[in-house]
Amino acid sequence: MTVPGNEAELLTRVVSGDREAFDAVMRNHQDRVFSVCLRILGDREKALDATQDTFLTVFRKAGQFQGRSAVGTWIYRIAVNTCYDQLRRAQRRPSEPLADHVDPSDPTAEEEMASAALRPEIEAALAQLPRDFRNAVVLSDLEGMSLPEVAEVLGVPVGTVKSRVFRGRRLLAKHLGNQNDQ
Amino acid sequence: MHEHPLDLIAALADGSLSDEAEARSLIETCHQCRDEYLAQTEVIAWLATAPAVEMTDLEKATLHRDLWTELRSQAAKRSATPWWQRLSYVAAGLFVIVGLVGVLNSGVLGGGGEAAATTTAAGAQAFDEAPTEEVPFVAQGSDDGESAPEMATETTAAATATTDATAGEDSLSLPFEELADEARARQNDRVVAESAEPDFEQCLSRVGLDDHVVVDQIDFDQTYLLVMRRDPEAERVVTFVVLPACEIVYVG
Repeated sequence: MTVPGNEAELLTRVVSGDREAFDAVMRNHQDRVFSVCLRILGDREKALDATQDTFLTVFRKAGQFQGRSAVGTWIYRIAVNTCYDQLRRAQRRPSEPLADHVDPSDPTAEEEMASAALRPEIEAALAQLPRDFRNAVVLSDLEGMSLPEVAEVLGVPVGTVKSRVFRGRRLLAKHLGNQNDQ
Repeated sequence: MHEHPLDLIAALADGSLSDEAEARSLIETCHQCRDEYLAQTEVIAWLATAPAVEMTDLEKATLHRDLWTELRSQAAKRSATPWWQRLSYVAAGLFVIVGLVGVLNSGVLGGGGEAAATTTAAGAQAFDEAPTEEVPFVAQGSDDGESAPEMATETTAAATATTDATAGEDSLSLPFEELADEARARQNDRVVAESAEPDFEQCLSRVGLDDHVVVDQIDFDQTYLLVMRRDPEAERVVTFVVLPACEIVYVG
């Protein structure tokens, strides 16, 4: 069922407990939130947990949205912070290797590998980046956000984002170069 | 020393420049800049091969189900807001009431005949404006009807507590009914004090509540023990016993 109204209006209705409005907000952003979380955390289950936590926070804090950014930007910022919180709690590197038991000849292996984060080589390369560089590259080059939007989501100046994206790509290029040499 | 505008190179690589002339000229004249540009474009193209990430339909359905389960659970917990929090709202309202009564009775603002209506309104307003940390979820449909009446009861009970407080009592009193509901809603047999507190045990024995356990202790103007039958199958009646007098002051 389509719920009319722009997103800021939807959030206003969420504040008053409108379930349909909240469902609409979720439908609009759940895939991207999940994608961001998965690319940051590198684990599907953790990303699903972070996605749920993100929308719980969205629901609780809907009344605090002040309209200074797009609703989506605000939500993705919550998602990134939720992932950071999860990483701090876990106190471990965000990416994990594929399960050892995956047998490429098994017909279900492809599905299981697809359920892992990204293409393994991309995941591995991103995992080697410093967190700030990785998140900037993920949001910019994988999620397709504009640099001002990335800056808003990460809570840093645009110039900082530009620098992080550049340096992150540079490190990935080195990784690619090393792979090509092998 | 030639400084390379790295952000210009990066922007040229990802196609975000509106005017590429300067950047194109740069990579044509600066070898290092061209190398950086090529590295950037290679990485961007490589990252573009990453498949789109989406949740499966099952994951989406599970997400929605788990999310609403959690929201309902939180709403149920919020319907039993800590007594001290609600009490602080009542106290804040009553401070206003007491203050206004004092001012009005001193004749500063007018006749005392208006005091009752004014203070009652002020007390009610102060309570209504008490800050709430979170907005309780109220479902639009009937699938969450249980939480809405509970919250309505909470509001009514709290308003009643405020009204009672302004109806002529000179001192604060505990919202016994709400606290009893809270104790039942927790649905646990958390025992605050058992045989380790001989005073409690003796008191309970004296008032005929030997088969009860203390499920909460509230230190207010006096100490109040909230006790319930030890038998989890028994009717969940909450009895308030005040110390040190060891008297039953409320049963609900």
